[in-house]
Amino acid sequence: MLRIEDLHAEVDGKPILKGLTLALNAGEIHAIMGPNGAGKSTLAYVLGGRPGYEVTGGAVTFNGEDLLAMEPHERAAAGLFLGFQYPVEIPGVSNVQFLRTALNAQRRQRGEEELSGAEFLKLARTQADALGLSMDMLKRPVNVGFSGGEKKRNEMVQMGIIDPKLAILDETDSGLDIDALRTVGEGINRIMRTPDKAVLLITHYQRLLDYVRPDFVHVLAAGRIVRSGGPELAHELEREGYGAIAA
Amino acid sequence: MNLTLPSTREEAWRWSDLSGLPALAEAEPQGGVIDTSDLWIGDGPRLLFVDGRLDNALSEPGDLIVGSVAAQSGHPLGRLATGEGWTLDLASNVAASGLIEIVHVATGGANHVPGYIRLGEGAQASIVETFVGDGWTNRLTAIAIGPEARLMRAIRLMQDTGFGSIREESEILNGGSLVTTILGAGAAGTRIDAEILLAGHGAYAEFGGALLARGTQRHDAAVVVRHAAEGGTSRQIWRAVADDRATASLAARVEVARGAQKTDGEQSLRGLLLKRAATINLKPELEIFADDVKCAHGATVGELDARALFYLESRGVPPVEAKALLTRAFVADALERIGEEAVHDAFLRDADTWLGAAA
Repeated sequence: MLRIEDLHAEVDGKPILKGLTLALNAGEIHAIMGPNGAGKSTLAYVLGGRPGYEVTGGAVTFNGEDLLAMEPHERAAAGLFLGFQYPVEIPGVSNVQFLRTALNAQRRQRGEEELSGAEFLKLARTQADALGLSMDMLKRPVNVGFSGGEKKRNEMVQMGIIDPKLAILDETDSGLDIDALRTVGEGINRIMRTPDKAVLLITHYQRLLDYVRPDFVHVLAAGRIVRSGGPELAHELEREGYGAIAA
Repeated sequence: MNLTLPSTREEAWRWSDLSGLPALAEAEPQGGVIDTSDLWIGDGPRLLFVDGRLDNALSEPGDLIVGSVAAQSGHPLGRLATGEGWTLDLASNVAASGLIEIVHVATGGANHVPGYIRLGEGAQASIVETFVGDGWTNRLTAIAIGPEARLMRAIRLMQDTGFGSIREESEILNGGSLVTTILGAGAAGTRIDAEILLAGHGAYAEFGGALLARGTQRHDAAVVVRHAAEGGTSRQIWRAVADDRATASLAARVEVARGAQKTDGEQSLRGLLLKRAATINLKPELEIFADDVKCAHGATVGELDARALFYLESRGVPPVEAKALLTRAFVADALERIGEEAVHDAFLRDADTWLGAAA
């Protein structure tokens, strides 16, 4: 589904990714772990197409298409979802308006029929209920006045509504207490754990992986994957720290 | 007509461009049939002025009287609006029969119409004015609001070409209220001038709106609110958006006289630049001679939040739509004060049309 080959990228002229290679197939959940500054968030933003994150070498294909040639909104319409470490507050735009605009824009790009207001609200209510967010919150401006945990749950509500093929979740576990962690973990499994979807979980800590069991774990250090393994690698990292393994 | 226009060397006119007015003053209207059917919002009293003349067939005056008007002004543009115009004069405790609508269509040249609104004690009215077409449209409106009377005004400046200038002179007595919301979403240049006197105890005034400019268009508003009595409240909430090489300018002034204790004044002037070559001028001014007052003011100019844009785009919203959504959110609170839902919706639709064309 996703093929990253020898990816090089820089931010403000500073090389961050230095030859990253990774492949995800449908039905797989991969975790990328690594110390601060390894390039984890840069990888997420490069895949999402954020301006200022410049690819200087390598290739990325998504279901056979050149991902790097697409605009961010085209990547979304193609089925890529980027879960933000720091979801953005947008005063004056309600979550409902934002998500309906987003979903219908994606459907238009794919040549599908747009959802009516009623159809959309029904979908939104189902997803919000599952993540423990009230519809009242969804009627409020995007992320404004939301706690850290509510913002992350809102990311999952968005993911549930948009129903992507591939989710790249950047530190979705940061800022969550143990109950919220469980809710978010269950959300990821419910929405994404199917044979035709894939997830790239980017995380600093092992704890989210107790709820979302990865099929593969990779260690990112200094802009490259330095080790790959099964779920046991995450426990090893937790025990021994990044120093020993990334060295 | 002897046309003497203010010069940009005068402080109050430094951001204006009146250079097209002499030619328009000499030109003749083109005339022709104009379809105004989309411009009416409700089914209350209505007046249609075409090139400054009442169209009898399409007007239903109701409480309004058309004829000579008791309005006079020393204002350089307002003083030009003499002769036949419209009057709304409501006696005490009378509410106007429905939403009053006045549509001004111009087909070129210049037209000047005065208006006069007098609300007796406890009277209530809501008036919408819409300006469309071409040419120079110049208006003077004198407003006298009696004790506990309430006037809602909403003004849409939607001309395609030419120039729209409006001058408002208002006086509000004890406990009276004036709420004026202006939307500039046409393609013509505009000048909005207002002077509001809070003459009675506990008077309330709001004057603000959203000005959207693109191309080489210029919107220019100069508003003075004078607190002359105790316990008055005023709000000036403006949002200006400038795209391309356009200019939007806001000069908002609050004056608090010596005796006007317990005044509560607020100014919020915010500008949004959609292109680097666009210009926003903000000039908030406070002049306070009383010591027990609360006057808040804020003036900021910025660009769209790049992080919010990427967030929207990452969810599948194309860049043009994402910009429109954020710009709409920016202007929306300036239009929130329109009390009538149908009017509010119509104004938002016009703002959306402007935003939708912002490709």
